Amino acid sequence: MKASTELKMSNHELIRCPICEAVNLDKIGEIKCRRCGELIYKHKDVSFNRTLAFLMTAIILYFPANFYPILITKKLGVTQENTILGGIMVLWEAGSYPVAIIILLASVFVPILKFIFIIYLLISTEYNVKSSKIDKYKLFYITESVGSWSMVDVFVVTILSVLIHFSAIQIVPGAGATAFALMVFFTMLSALSFDTRLIKR
Amino acid sequence: MKKHKLDNLIICKRCHTLHKKIKLHRNTKALCKHCGSVIYRNHHNIIETTLALSISAIIALMVAFSFTIMTININGIYQELNLTALFVVIFEQHFYLMGIMLGFLIFLFPLAILVSIILLLTLMHFRRSGYLVKRLLILTAKLLPWSMIDIFFISILVSMVKLFDYAQIEIGVAFVAFILLLVLDIIINKQMRFNELWRYYESIYGVKNEQS
Ligand SMILES: [Zn+2]
Ligand SMILES: [Zn+2]
Repeated sequence: MKASTELKMSNHELIRCPICEAVNLDKIGEIKCRRCGELIYKHKDVSFNRTLAFLMTAIILYFPANFYPILITKKLGVTQENTILGGIMVLWEAGSYPVAIIILLASVFVPILKFIFIIYLLISTEYNVKSSKIDKYKLFYITESVGSWSMVDVFVVTILSVLIHFSAIQIVPGAGATAFALMVFFTMLSALSFDTRLIKR
Repeated sequence: MKKHKLDNLIICKRCHTLHKKIKLHRNTKALCKHCGSVIYRNHHNIIETTLALSISAIIALMVAFSFTIMTININGIYQELNLTALFVVIFEQHFYLMGIMLGFLIFLFPLAILVSIILLLTLMHFRRSGYLVKRLLILTAKLLPWSMIDIFFISILVSMVKLFDYAQIEIGVAFVAFILLLVLDIIINKQMRFNELWRYYESIYGVKNEQS
């Protein structure tokens, strides 16, 4: 059954509380939800700057996450280090194409896409970018929901380091894994602190 | 109880289209006119069903966290994967920051979410302590994006594929519990609408009208 009545009027004056989903009247500055009493939004400038700060931190972390080894293999005293891309290449050469593609998407493309989405949303709040408001909301929703998938590689490395823990051969997580986990964390914070009221046109 | 005029409206989570609520038949759902996602549903005894599901989920979670997820066998040498071993190895390697992050993302947050859901639904069922229910509703909503149990399970599958050529893999009890937990989690997330819970909250404990 479809909710047939769609209201076009004054859509931008009403906002949705992210905690309890109640509809609230938009005001300038701070808004407290009328139902759950939680602070929905701080001042718009605060939100913009916070999103930007978290995003910058995440982008900076993206480099050590990719250049430092995420996985270190110690085989009979010989140490071999693998970065994320290196690991994907090993998988590809071994013929595990689906897994290689999953990891490539989750750990290389998703973070970059998320950076681009957030930058795009931030730019579109300042300048008039031609695309509908609803598309931007959808973009924001996608950004929020795919973000945590980047953690797959970090989890895989920790699982492997538990399982491959013999005297002859050992796998240990590398510094890249920590940087990667932190990067995902800051990207998520950035998306969560983005004020959807900033989406205007 | 004074009903707020804004309570007849609902905004789609995905595309932020504003909708006016209409009365639904029993066990039907309303879809967003613009993007087609479910915006609200009429679910009778939502509290009791969700409570039963959450209790099953927390049992599955306990099993998934305390027993063996899988055992690998490389030329007769066995190695076991369970959550305790995972944290022991991470801290042995001095990856403290990552250990703490993992502890929260795959253990503490999922557990806290389920405990808080069970607690708030139980209190709502017995119509007790409204203030606590309110805090728990807020807490649950805030914790939800930070549970990564589903991604952890995908990672287990990816690790299995990676090890396939080198080792024999035996699936443990916790692996089955994980699948059960995820299925329950999906059902709970699908039917537990915060909007509905808050409306129940208001109908049970009354509305405090601080502002109009
Ligand atoms: Zn609210
Ligand atoms: Zn929609």
